[in-house]
Amino acid sequence: MPKTSIRTKNLSKTYDNQTVVSNVSINLPYGGIFGVLGKNGAGKTTFLAMLMGLITPSEGEIFIFDKSLKFHKYEILKNINFQSPYIDLPKKITVMQNLIFYARLYDVIDRKKKILKLSEDLFITDLLDNIYGTLSSGQKTRVNLCKALLNDPKLLLLDEPTASLDVSTSEFIRKYIKSFQKKNNSTILITSHNLEEIEKMCSHIIFLDKGKIKFDGKKNELFKQNKSSSLKDIFLKDDK
Amino acid sequence: MINRILALLIRYKNISFGSFPRLLSIFYWPTVQILFWGYFTNFFMSNGSFGIWSALNIILSAVVLWDVLFRGQLGLTMSFFEELWSRNLPNLFITPLKDIEMVYGLILISLVRTLIGITPAVFFANYFFYFHLFELGLYLIFLFLNLIIFGWSIGFIVSGLVLRYGQAFEELAWAIIFIILPFSCVYYPLDSLPNIVQNIALFLPTVHIFETMRLILIENEIILHNVFIIIFLNLFYLILSILFFLKMICIARKRGLLFNQGE
Repeated sequence: MPKTSIRTKNLSKTYDNQTVVSNVSINLPYGGIFGVLGKNGAGKTTFLAMLMGLITPSEGEIFIFDKSLKFHKYEILKNINFQSPYIDLPKKITVMQNLIFYARLYDVIDRKKKILKLSEDLFITDLLDNIYGTLSSGQKTRVNLCKALLNDPKLLLLDEPTASLDVSTSEFIRKYIKSFQKKNNSTILITSHNLEEIEKMCSHIIFLDKGKIKFDGKKNELFKQNKSSSLKDIFLKDDK
Repeated sequence: MINRILALLIRYKNISFGSFPRLLSIFYWPTVQILFWGYFTNFFMSNGSFGIWSALNIILSAVVLWDVLFRGQLGLTMSFFEELWSRNLPNLFITPLKDIEMVYGLILISLVRTLIGITPAVFFANYFFYFHLFELGLYLIFLFLNLIIFGWSIGFIVSGLVLRYGQAFEELAWAIIFIILPFSCVYYPLDSLPNIVQNIALFLPTVHIFETMRLILIENEIILHNVFIIIFLNLFYLILSILFFLKMICIARKRGLLFNQGE
């Protein structure tokens, strides 16, 4: 088992003289649920995108499972997956066609069996023959999560996994993600504006502010440091 | 009321004139039509010796073969655009899919789409007009392959531009083929064009392809030198366009564009 899941060294991203992520160095152990917090424009999504190789860093290095992302990209990507409510699947084809396509890209063995198993777990079996574009946002989230779990990722990146979902669907998604992590001992990195969600799910928090790390450590340390018992209070205090 | 109509007018003006490709699309059609039909009429007026059936056979062969190029290019760009329109690029590029594998996939789907698209056209031309494209014999495969390859080259350039500069360049997917149409000598020989234009047109493989097609249909002969020029130009443009497309993906990663594309 690798010692670390994510290690970044002086990671920076600059667009036309505007720095979005600045000198971020983190070292996350293997296994666990980690939260990335920050206000709008703090650099959370750019940070996540760099970890997946979607955005090339301006400076710094990324190591996933102790291997350099730059030199072992495709080997690493086999074990990563991602879900975001802002990234869709092709709308004109069925859910099953979409899932089969991604199962092929990840070289999943016994594709149909895997999809049916995950569909049962996520209650989307009835949706498999539906056109993806006709689904509601709650249904799309569950289908996207199914896509994100097809390759049993060792590193799962979730960008606001419960955005625009009703309370019960959100709770279901949170429970499912937690049980998936326990079962597979994966590393899950979540960004969310839902502070309660991060509080409930994550033991370790990375707090980004204007692209820089403001805090990186255990949740309890953050509370202790800020003499507060909730993330919401810390955020609001930070605004003053 | 006037204010609201004026608001709409300003809005549509901003959309239409806001980018070079959109601006280009406003005036290229009339210009291209005039150029094309002008050269076409000149050629047939000065070659009255052609029988009506010979002329029809040449025109229909050219129509079908030109469509191979169009379908080839469109099949590639539309398949790529589907990923952009459905905001699916991030999902695609975080899989172990290599950039070059995407290139292979786009080429293959374009080939399939072109074969499916062109078959009914050949059937109808054959059935209604007693036109036999297959008179071109094995050369038909050569001409087909080279036209579709040039279509792929154009397709990769357009896809790369859209990825890098955004949806304003989508207009090019429809327009670019018709911009090169008058200079490709599809329905008339190269010497119908003015001398200066001829020198530029010679760099287009389509000119040599359609010259070869006419030579086979009229004289039943082929010039080997032309065959080599077609292969050389096509390979050159294909390699160049693929490298361009791959470079644009690389730039898109640097500028964070893979995340922000879509409808």
